[in-house]
This record gives sequence, C-alpha cells and structure tokens, in this order.
Amino acid sequence: MAAQANTAESKKGFLQWARSRKGQQVIIIVAFMIIPLVLLFTFTYLPFGEMVGFSFYKMKYVGKRTFVGWKNYASVFSRKDCFGALKLSLYYMGGSVVQLALALYLATILSFKVKGGNIFKGFMFFPYLINGIAIGFIFKFFYTRGFVFDTVLQWCGFQLDNLPYWLKDQSINNISLVGTSVWRYFGQNMVLFIGAIMSVDSELYEAAMLDGANRFQQFRYIILPSIKTIVTLNVILSITGSLSAFEPPYVITSGANGTGTYFVVMNEIAHTQQKVGLASAMAVVLLLIIFAATILQKLFFKYVFRNAEDEDFGAAKKREKQLAKYAARKAGR
Amino acid sequence: MKLRKVLALTLAAAMTLSLAACGGSDEGAAEAPAADDTAAETEAPAADDAADDGAAAEAPAAASGLTYASVNLGEDYKDLTTTIKFIHHKTDREEDGTIPDLIAKFNEMYPGITVETEGITDYAEDSLLRLSAGDWGDVMFIPAIDAAELPTYFVPYGTVDEMSEYVNFADQWKDAAGNCYGIGYMGNAQGVLYNKKVFADAGVTSLPKTPDEFIAALQAIKDNTDAIPLYTNYAAGWTMGGAWDGYLGAITNGDETWLNQKFTHEAEPFKDHGDGTGPYALYKILYDATAQGLIEDDYTTTDWEGCKPMINNGEIGAMVLGSWAVAQMKAAGDNPDDIGYMPFPITVNGQQYATAGPDYCYGINVNASDDNKAAAMVFVKWMVEESGWCDLEGGYPISKTAPTSFVFDGVNVVNNVTSLPGEEDIMNELNSESELSFNQGGDAKVQRIVEAAATGAETYDEIMADWTAAWNAAQEECGVEVLY
Repeated sequence: MAAQANTAESKKGFLQWARSRKGQQVIIIVAFMIIPLVLLFTFTYLPFGEMVGFSFYKMKYVGKRTFVGWKNYASVFSRKDCFGALKLSLYYMGGSVVQLALALYLATILSFKVKGGNIFKGFMFFPYLINGIAIGFIFKFFYTRGFVFDTVLQWCGFQLDNLPYWLKDQSINNISLVGTSVWRYFGQNMVLFIGAIMSVDSELYEAAMLDGANRFQQFRYIILPSIKTIVTLNVILSITGSLSAFEPPYVITSGANGTGTYFVVMNEIAHTQQKVGLASAMAVVLLLIIFAATILQKLFFKYVFRNAEDEDFGAAKKREKQLAKYAARKAGR
Repeated sequence: MKLRKVLALTLAAAMTLSLAACGGSDEGAAEAPAADDTAAETEAPAADDAADDGAAAEAPAAASGLTYASVNLGEDYKDLTTTIKFIHHKTDREEDGTIPDLIAKFNEMYPGITVETEGITDYAEDSLLRLSAGDWGDVMFIPAIDAAELPTYFVPYGTVDEMSEYVNFADQWKDAAGNCYGIGYMGNAQGVLYNKKVFADAGVTSLPKTPDEFIAALQAIKDNTDAIPLYTNYAAGWTMGGAWDGYLGAITNGDETWLNQKFTHEAEPFKDHGDGTGPYALYKILYDATAQGLIEDDYTTTDWEGCKPMINNGEIGAMVLGSWAVAQMKAAGDNPDDIGYMPFPITVNGQQYATAGPDYCYGINVNASDDNKAAAMVFVKWMVEESGWCDLEGGYPISKTAPTSFVFDGVNVVNNVTSLPGEEDIMNELNSESELSFNQGGDAKVQRIVEAAATGAETYDEIMADWTAAWNAAQEECGVEVLY
C-alpha cells in the first residue's frame, strides 16, 4: 500500500518535473539530440566497432571466420608494402606544404584590393568543384606522352625527348600525382584563408601603414597571427589528408608502378585479395597514426604560436639590443 | 478559400486512401508466405503437380519427336503460325539493328513465326528473377543455375552424344541423364589477337608457335614497321591479370587437369621447365617483350577504348586478349579484315593448345505451348546454323556445319576440367592467401612484371621465386597438401 502510494507520488513528481521549465528543457534537448546521436552511432561508431572486431579475424566477406588475435596487426608491421606505402605520404605532405603556402600567398594578395579579384577567386576555386574521379581522368590524359602537358611545355621551348614520362618514370610519377591534388585543393584552402583574413579589422592595416609597415610586415604581424586558428586547421587537415591520399593514385594509375598509397594498398588487400581482417587492421593502425600526427601537430602549433598574442619575441630582443647600443653610444660620447 | 479547403480535403482523403491501399497490399504480401508455411503440405503436392504438368507437356513433344536433330530447316513447320519471345543480354546488338536484321532474315524462311526480342541490361541478375517468375517467354540465354534444375525450366535438345554431331560444347548444360539443354550462341577461345597486315608487312609469314618465335615476330614488327609490336593495355589493369591468367592450364602445358586440380598442390608451379612451356614461359613472354622494348612507349597511360581503332588501323601488332575482343576490334575502324586471331604461341610436345567454351546458351522454355516449343526449336536451330551471328561476333564456331572465319588449324581445342569434388574452394583460398589472385583480378602481379622489366628493378627469376614463396606459404597456411 505504502509502496503504491510511493510510486504514485514519484509518478506525480515526474509529471510535475516534466511540466516544469527545467524538465521541458531537458526533454527538448534529448528529443532533438536523439536522432542525430542514433544516426551517428548506427552509421559511424557501430560499423567502426565492427571493423575493429574484424581486425582480429582471418576472414573474407563471405564464408567462415577464424579468430587470429593480434596476427593481423603483426603482419601490418612486418609487411613491406603497408609501411612502405606510408613513405609515399611524404610526397603528399610536401605537396600540402606547397599547397598551403600558395593558398596563403594568393589569399593575402587577393584580400588587398586587386583588379578582377573575384574572377581570380572563382577560377582558382573552380577545380575544387569538379568531381575527384573526373579530375583523375582529366590528368590521365593531361600526363599522357605527347598530350596536353607535353604540348604546353613544347610551346615553352622544351624538346619532347628531354621531357620525362610523367607517370611512367618512378622517380617523378608521385610528384605528378601530388600535383593534381595540389591543383584541386589549393583554391579551397585559399577561400578559407580569405574568409579568415576578411574578419581582420581593417583599422589595424591603417594604423600599421601609419607606422610605416610594408605589405609583408602587415602580413607577418597582423594577418598571420589573426588567422592562426584557420592555418592550424588547414595544416592538420592537409597532413591527415596526405596520410589517407586515395583518389589521384587510384584513378590515374590504379596504384600501379610504385604509386600505391596506404589507402590503395588497403583497398587492394580488402577487395582483390579479400583479406578483410588484415585490411581492417591496417585501417585501425592508420587511425592511430593519424591520431598521433594530429596530437603532435597540436603541440607543435602550441609551441609556435605561444606568444603570438604578445609582441614578437625576436622583435623585443632586437629593440632591447638597439636600445643598449644607443645607450652605449650615448655614454661613449 | 472554400476551394482551397475542398482541395485540401480531397488531397488528404486521397493520401489516406493510398496509405490504406499500401497497407493493404503489404498485409497481403506479408500474408502470403505465412499461408505458405501453414499450407506447406498442400503446397508440396501442388508443386509436384506442376512438375508433372511439365513432364506431361514434355512427353508429347518428345513423342512427336521434337529434338534439335529432327528439325529440317526450311522444310518442317513451314506452316506454323505463332509468336515466340526471345530474351537476351546483347542490348548493343539490339540497338545497332543486328538482331532485328537476323530476325527479318529468319522470317524470309519462316514468315509465320513472329519473334519478339527483349534485350536486358543487367542480364545475369534479371534473367534469374525472370526465370523463377516464369513469364519470360520461349527462348532465353540460360543464366547461372544448377544443372539439376535444368529439366524444370528447359526443353532438352537431345542427348549430348547426339548433339555433339551438330554443335561444339554440347555438354555445357547437361543433366544427369546426359541430355543437352543449352547451345551456345558463340564460343570464346583463348589465343592472341593480331593485325594480319602488320604481321605481313613485318615479313612474318608463318604464325609464331613458340615464345621465342613470338618474340622474334614482335622484333620484326619493331624493325620493319611503325606499329607497336605488343600492346599491353597496362593501365586498364583487368587487361593484365584478367587477360594473361586466362592462358594458365592446358594452353601452357597441355594438361587439362593442371589448372583446377594440380596447380594448387604443386610445390614449384612457376619453375622454369626449360622448354618454353608452363606458367614460367607464359609470363616470360610479357617480361621479355617489355625488356626488349617491344611494347608501347608509355605503358602507364594506355587507353582501352583507344587501342581498338589503333589495332584496326595497323598501329598495333598484337594484343593478348580472349577471342571475345575480336568483334570489338573489327568494329572499331575501316579494316575489320585485318584483325586476326591466332593460337597462343606455346607448343607442348609439338602440339599447340587452345581452351574454348561457349558464351551464353539458348534454352527453350519447357512450359511453353507445343507450337511455341516447335517454333523455338526451329528458331534456335536457324540461329545456330543459318544466321551467321556467331561468325559476325568473331566467335569460336558453335555449329559444326556453318561457315566460319575462325581458323585454329592444327590446334587441340580443349577445356580445363573443373576441380575435384570437395576441393572447389582451395584455389580461392590460395589465391587470397598468396595475394596472387590468378583469374581473380590479380592485375597487380602482372603489372609488376611490366614494371620490373621496364625499370630493371627485378629479374624475371626473382619474381617467379617470389611467387613460388608466396604460393608455398599460402599452401602451408591453408593446409593444402603438396603432391606434385
């Protein structure tokens, strides 16, 4: 009897709570969050968990599975092709440095008053809008011997015999592929940078100009510190992207001739050789590598930008030195 | 305002109704299997009845002597008037008018038989659905079904022995009793595609029969013409593993049982036999041709569509592809007669081998009416013997009497026999474990040969040693006994 009354009371309490402002808030928050959370769980975390599970089995897509423990992970580290493929990421990282520098340079120029700036922005952003597979096919023909690229270079006075085979020569074919990815993404990076630069207060430029700062100094002391968040973000995204480069090698060379990046090798192992367990282990290892790379970069940027808010460390030192010199000269006189 | 309200109401009513309708049909659909479950016992005899019906319908046909052999084209069934339906996968031939033309020719001989055709794009899947649904027509290309199911769906043409007098590959679709249920519309053989004019211009008068002769012929093409001797189609990928692996087996060593029965149990499948035979000799052709500069200049940017007009116009000497490619190469330019097909240049004990098999096979619906069965039988026989379709496609001949331009003189045409019972999966296991994937998309391993030969990174023997090591490790991992 008492228990019944108790439940009745708690029921009443719950209803009351649900009707209260706080209760309504909680209910609405939960109601709104449940759908995205369920979607996120079903389509991201659940499959990921499954994949981690797969990585401990020797299995194909169909057929029986055998538990093999850490064996797949051991072979990821012992196989030549898995970590050998990661070396190719260095090419893509190098490319991403070029890409970011180019994007930052163009963004800075375009953020000052330039004639036809919007047209240039449009032209340079355009490649990002093309489908990656289409870009692959474009560049396949672009790099074909005697086709577009060679023709253009011949206009510039190069002899065809002196030109390398852009995709056949193993010493440069990765650079050719990286070139396509730089071409595709620098416009997008540039637009992000321009967006960030536009948020810089223009009075700062004016003040700097009055102080006699040139364009480079404006960039160095005003723009760069103001957009460091977006720079950091772009660098992290580019490095992660370099580790998981896939489309250019897959479409243009199908990973043959020494261009198979980690992802292409993984795809080959999973789909052609049907070693699903091993490929899953490779995916998990790559995830860990990306985690590590991201954390390292975070630390690195924390160090680089540690006193960007204050005045530049070197500048202060220089000024002190100059002051000391000045004082010494004065004293000497 | 009022109008709006009325409209809204009507809409709402329509939606509710359609919802109810959907629900209704769903329920119906959901009910059906349930009914099947409970009425499984009553269902079973019904199915038997159907089968009996089929047999009963077949009996008179057999009694009336309707077999492939019994039909005399141009004499029997001339006054038959009916409409039959033929479903097939050659949508391209439907669109370019080839099939309508053939049927128009058929109607000159048999004006009473109207043939409706339907080309199906995703044939392998859709045909199975149509087959099980049962309303597909009278003649179809037999999809991938079990041999045991053949009598349920198709009319036998006669016994395999009897049919073998008329057509090649009569044993492709046979039941336990030895009846033949399918006749191919064309055959596919494994050999080498070449341009006759380029070979003639290079001074190659007799077709090469051994790897050495083949390389010498390619060298002659390089020396005497502007054509690319051997086009690898490296970049496409499937043209490497998919093409070269197809010659493993009887072609390389004359042993029909090797590919599916012995290969998996062999300790050193890639060893050098020293006499230009075996898998070693097969892939060595590619390595040597590449190393001696007898392939295209920039193999990484080859283009599959682009190679077709090139070989047609005499810019390519040879390509290693199955005979299915002949029709495409002929159609790609103005010189279809220059395209030739030769047996693969490996000779085992003085004998060249080729493997061949039928493409899709005609099957006749067992549940069709007697008239339609007869019409379908006439149609199939005409298609096989009189239409010339097989030759038009450049296929290996099906009919033993029809004229053909496919010349494989003095070549022993064989078929690699299937694996031993209980060992069907071993090849798959080893392919996956060794990552060589023979005949299963192992393109990277053949591309590696080209890369190694072009850059000098590895010798051919190193690659073969590597393959052997991978094969042996896979045999050990999968517990496959090494017998040879």
